[in-house]
Amino acid sequence: MVSATIPDRVPVTVLTGYLGAGKTTLLNRILTHEHGKKVALIINEFGEVGIDNQLVIDADEEIFEMNNGCICCTVRGDLIRIINSLMRRRDKFDHLVIETTGLADPAPVIQTFFMDEEVQSQTHLDAVVTVVDARHIWQHWEADEAQEQIAFADVILLNKVDLVTPAELDELEQRIRKMNAMAKLYRTRNAEVEMDVLLGVGAFDLKRALAIDPNFLGEDTHEHDQTVSSVAIVETGAVNGQRLNEWLGVLLQTQGPNIFRMKGILNIEGEDHRYVFQGVHMLLDGSRDRTWKPTDSRTNQLVFIGRNLNEAQLKDDFRRCLV
Amino acid sequence: MNRNSRPAFDRVWQQQLSDYVGAIAWSPRDPILAAASATGEVILYPINGQPQVLNPPSGQPMDCIAFSQDGNFLAAGGQDGRLRLWHLPTTGDIPAVPTHSLPAHNWVEHLAWNPQHNWLAFNLGRYIQIWDATQQDLIATLDFEASSVLCLTWHPDGQRLMAGGYQGAKLWDSRAWQDDPYVAELANVSVALAWSADGQYLASGNMDRTITVLEWHNREPSPYPWVMQGFPGKIRHLAWGRPSSTGQAPPLASASVEGIVVWQRSADPNVGWDGRLLEGHLAWVHGIAFQPRTQLLASAAEDGMVGLWPHAQRLSAVLQGAPAGFSCLAWHPSGGYLAAGGQQGELLLWSQRSI
Repeated sequence: MVSATIPDRVPVTVLTGYLGAGKTTLLNRILTHEHGKKVALIINEFGEVGIDNQLVIDADEEIFEMNNGCICCTVRGDLIRIINSLMRRRDKFDHLVIETTGLADPAPVIQTFFMDEEVQSQTHLDAVVTVVDARHIWQHWEADEAQEQIAFADVILLNKVDLVTPAELDELEQRIRKMNAMAKLYRTRNAEVEMDVLLGVGAFDLKRALAIDPNFLGEDTHEHDQTVSSVAIVETGAVNGQRLNEWLGVLLQTQGPNIFRMKGILNIEGEDHRYVFQGVHMLLDGSRDRTWKPTDSRTNQLVFIGRNLNEAQLKDDFRRCLV
Repeated sequence: MNRNSRPAFDRVWQQQLSDYVGAIAWSPRDPILAAASATGEVILYPINGQPQVLNPPSGQPMDCIAFSQDGNFLAAGGQDGRLRLWHLPTTGDIPAVPTHSLPAHNWVEHLAWNPQHNWLAFNLGRYIQIWDATQQDLIATLDFEASSVLCLTWHPDGQRLMAGGYQGAKLWDSRAWQDDPYVAELANVSVALAWSADGQYLASGNMDRTITVLEWHNREPSPYPWVMQGFPGKIRHLAWGRPSSTGQAPPLASASVEGIVVWQRSADPNVGWDGRLLEGHLAWVHGIAFQPRTQLLASAAEDGMVGLWPHAQRLSAVLQGAPAGFSCLAWHPSGGYLAAGGQQGELLLWSQRSI
């Protein structure tokens, strides 16, 4: 009903990464690149970014706890306020980039786009892009913020690859891959990357297929030397919708704070359509997707990214949902 | 107005600003409407006469505009981080004189003139400043602390100023600005505040999709607020009406997404407030207001309709003129005129047909 009267929603890219990782270099690239898009930018740290004829808005990070029975349900109040005002000059820009501070937890930013109906009606989250300093990441590897920024990412730039050896880089890439099996990884110098891998990614678009690293799916066992990890579940067979709902309900109630992101494609019993869903902490969004093609194998695919995930139990619990 | 007659309005004129009309306001003294747009225009529109541009397009949106209680001053604020003030001499024909332009680091998103004095409250991020326009002097700077200020309103008695934001609303006393404010921990985030005309009820529209209503006696609220739930989104607009009979509580209109709900206090204390849904709008409601001295509710929405709801009940008439949607509306203090702004710069004025 509402969607019939509103113009296309503006795509939003969230840019995270530690101070010094190369975020500002990347920002400048996005703002000056000849991609034909007019970009508005919301930043927390007014640094070297200062480009004329661009819409640059300085914001203070205001975290609001929504208190609906969930300790992890937080949104960015400043973004709600700013985006809703900004949309009055809707025709002045066609992409929004939000830069977070180096120490920010990306969850409140992402949840803002799931929680606030006004923001939701006017914008859609395109992707979370995390810039990682290939050399210095080792110094703050244990920091929650560094792990969360990697865990929430759809696109990871392994930047400053010229400052490390190929062997170190391979190790880093493997390690990141175990934490986040969904993200696309790019090795960069000076944050040089094609704009179309950053803008217009559609990572939160339920209609786009899941992109799980096939190597990750192929692995049966994972080392559990890190607290943040990805768990992938691949099972054929049909899922009982009611049992699935009950399981997800309990899972999010009890594990919500630990589950950063989840995505899935499901084969629901008696349905000709694929069912796709995604979640951020306790917020879940799902819908009926295209019909299964005759050539499809009707495989259920789920990915969880989180802290202290119990892989064996997740898999067992999911199997109990199968018909 | 006859109880059974439909309200009839005729278009007086239509004007055009260059972009989204962010705010409009009527002078309490002169037959003049002021409008502000997303390109930064501030323009005075007399009901009869030529428009007068006070601020040309600057590229930076103007978000709020308001006249002082005596009509001598007009204030406007927006995203260029300046508060603008004009002095309006006693007849509308004499050009307005800009008196002041205060620099501000943040966007100026909320303005509120005191109902008794020419004191202007406005926000700068989480701070509120109070400017005495007559003395040209800063009276106070208040810190909301918990977040940016999301709404700002004076108590009808003019002695107290209330601001809403994260974790509720805070109330400062003008006789002792330096004292800590009274804190009404209403809900998680207060995004709209409205006092009933008699000051007896305070309503807060909240981000968690609830409304909280507090009843006040002798400057103290009742410890048990009413909480209204079941909205599709945050409650962005509130308007108190006029009691239908003496002794009754005034009706409260609320807007959330495309829905308008009107609340009436029940005679049964166990019920609290009864809500009724006003159905008719197909898209976001951006403004609601009761006609002064009557129970006619007007609503402006993104579906391109200004709805008129006699007794705040059924939709009886629709006014049009902004095909891409309306953004705001305001009744003339006499109630005889209704103005509405549009998302593509339309500005329309209607007058009520006399019966």
